[in-house]
Amino acid sequence: MTLVNAGTADWFDLEGAPPPRMQAKRRKDGTLGLIVGIGMLIALLIMGLLVPMLSPYPADTSVGEPFLPPSGTFWFGTDGLGRDVFTRTFTAVYLDLGVALLGVLIPLTLGTIIGIGLAVTKSRAVNGIISTLIDAINAFPLLVLAIALIALLGPGLQSVIFALALTNWARYARLARTRAVVVNQQGYIEAAKTLGYSKSRTLFKHLVPNVSSETTAYGLSDMILVILLISGLSFLGLGAQPPTAEWGAMISEGRSQLQIAWWPVMFPGALLLWAGVAFSFIAEGISQRERDVKS
Amino acid sequence: MATDAPSAVTTPVSADGQGGPRPQRTWEKVVRRSGRALIVAFMVMCLAFLLIRLTPGDPASAILGESATPESVALLKAQLGLDVDPLTQLRNYVVGITQGDLGTSTLTSMPVTEVVKTFLPVTLWLILVTVLMTIIISIPLALAIAVVRIPSLPYIFRTVTAIGLALPGFLVALLLLYQFGYVWAIAPIFGYDYNFPANLAYLWLPSVVNCIVLVPVLSRVLYSSLVDTLDEEFVETGIIRGVSGIRYFWFYVLRPSLAPTVVLLSYMMGVMVGSTVIIEFIFALPGIGRELVNAVLYRDYPVVQGIILVFGVLVVFLSLLGDIIASLLDPRVKLT
Repeated sequence: MTLVNAGTADWFDLEGAPPPRMQAKRRKDGTLGLIVGIGMLIALLIMGLLVPMLSPYPADTSVGEPFLPPSGTFWFGTDGLGRDVFTRTFTAVYLDLGVALLGVLIPLTLGTIIGIGLAVTKSRAVNGIISTLIDAINAFPLLVLAIALIALLGPGLQSVIFALALTNWARYARLARTRAVVVNQQGYIEAAKTLGYSKSRTLFKHLVPNVSSETTAYGLSDMILVILLISGLSFLGLGAQPPTAEWGAMISEGRSQLQIAWWPVMFPGALLLWAGVAFSFIAEGISQRERDVKS
Repeated sequence: MATDAPSAVTTPVSADGQGGPRPQRTWEKVVRRSGRALIVAFMVMCLAFLLIRLTPGDPASAILGESATPESVALLKAQLGLDVDPLTQLRNYVVGITQGDLGTSTLTSMPVTEVVKTFLPVTLWLILVTVLMTIIISIPLALAIAVVRIPSLPYIFRTVTAIGLALPGFLVALLLLYQFGYVWAIAPIFGYDYNFPANLAYLWLPSVVNCIVLVPVLSRVLYSSLVDTLDEEFVETGIIRGVSGIRYFWFYVLRPSLAPTVVLLSYMMGVMVGSTVIIEFIFALPGIGRELVNAVLYRDYPVVQGIILVFGVLVVFLSLLGDIIASLLDPRVKLT
């Protein structure tokens, strides 16, 4: 995204580089964000594993009066149907993160393969058609296209994953194509060709790793968007369906009784935010470190 | 973050003139970029068309339900124009669009163009108010943090905006609506006024919600491109030559940094077109996003198809506009 003149950057750096003390601090800073993010994620995963196992209450059945405020018996209170919000909120961890992971991994894999394929292919027709298709898919807001596809497939989390696979790949493909074209012009690809390495070796040992590192980095920050998208769709009633313990669906259920009870909305909301912030810090930390390596 | 996405649109051009392409004239760039936008808009049209035809089973029976008689299914098929072969369907569809005909709602029998005319302005107003608010907040914020030399400020800024990126818009919307609408009762909790100054009373809170989601993204990108710009030679030259005040901030610092932000803003406006769906749903605004959700729930396929087309074309147009403004602001931006 930078528009800095590449030609003068190296000698300009002699004057413009920050003193070593500051560079060291910046490096530490990116690592700190990364550690905090990973810590938050691990804490979430452990709680998501332990709470459903150790909780005395089932997630999907009524265990007490509706709308009991948080107390020693029900740490996060109970919701409108008398279910334990604490158990439900943490039961949702693996569902939300699992669906989000699939919603990122499938498009990531598809997009990277298609993007690299486009950069490598010699056929102008294939390139033109698929590139325009990518542009057209990217022209739609992800949420709108997902909603439209769910209209056809019927509401549910499978439809959400399917819709993400069908639409989100185009973003990865665009990134992978741009990156692969750049990598293809690098010296080491030229060197590999000159050394007489086979095409597949150049492709899999040099091109694919260098492109996929980029798409994976994007995938990490995409996790935030996808988590929000999944819970948003569930909130609209198009994703996870009511009895399921899912953050967006839980917020949607508690929404109409917000005047009576804040806890059935706020606790799932807080965990949703927690998960998003964890990935945000991880992505931030990684991009900070990369920036430091480059500078 | 989504901030990576538009990088494919603005390609940095080496200004040293070595091996770079021949500099394009502005009008030439604009025409070429517009041509590409037209092609994409056509593909968007085809996608919207295909989407409905890809339904597993057939849309007509899906709309009418299981109890439908074969005659009524056939009748609806004819009404939807699904009784002819796909190529003729596509031709009819494209010809229809050029004549301003997007089909008819199966639920209300209202022409889809009427649906769009009724509900789109509300959404456009919402986007307009949000964008103005976001610009008014982001530019001074990013500028202040880039220019004021307090060492800890950038770290605080990065951390706070990293949290801001993860904020679920629908939760923010719910909580603000509850706080401002119920507890303090200073914002309407539903309804809309179609006249200009009065509609702002209904739009300010949804725009604030959109803003809370947008400002972190936008100010981060603006901040990092400001930092890059401040490192540039010409800024130093400017300082040495004694340029100061508005002239310094606009010509030397802000204007060279704005291009990536404008491109991102136009991209984010597209993303926002999507998120307004949820915002309108929560604030009960009669916008086109809420109408899309309704159409989906009632399986009103012609309306779904029409609204998706409008959304797609809107985004294509917005990103075209963003790219053109960016290249006018900064001649180093290449339009592809």
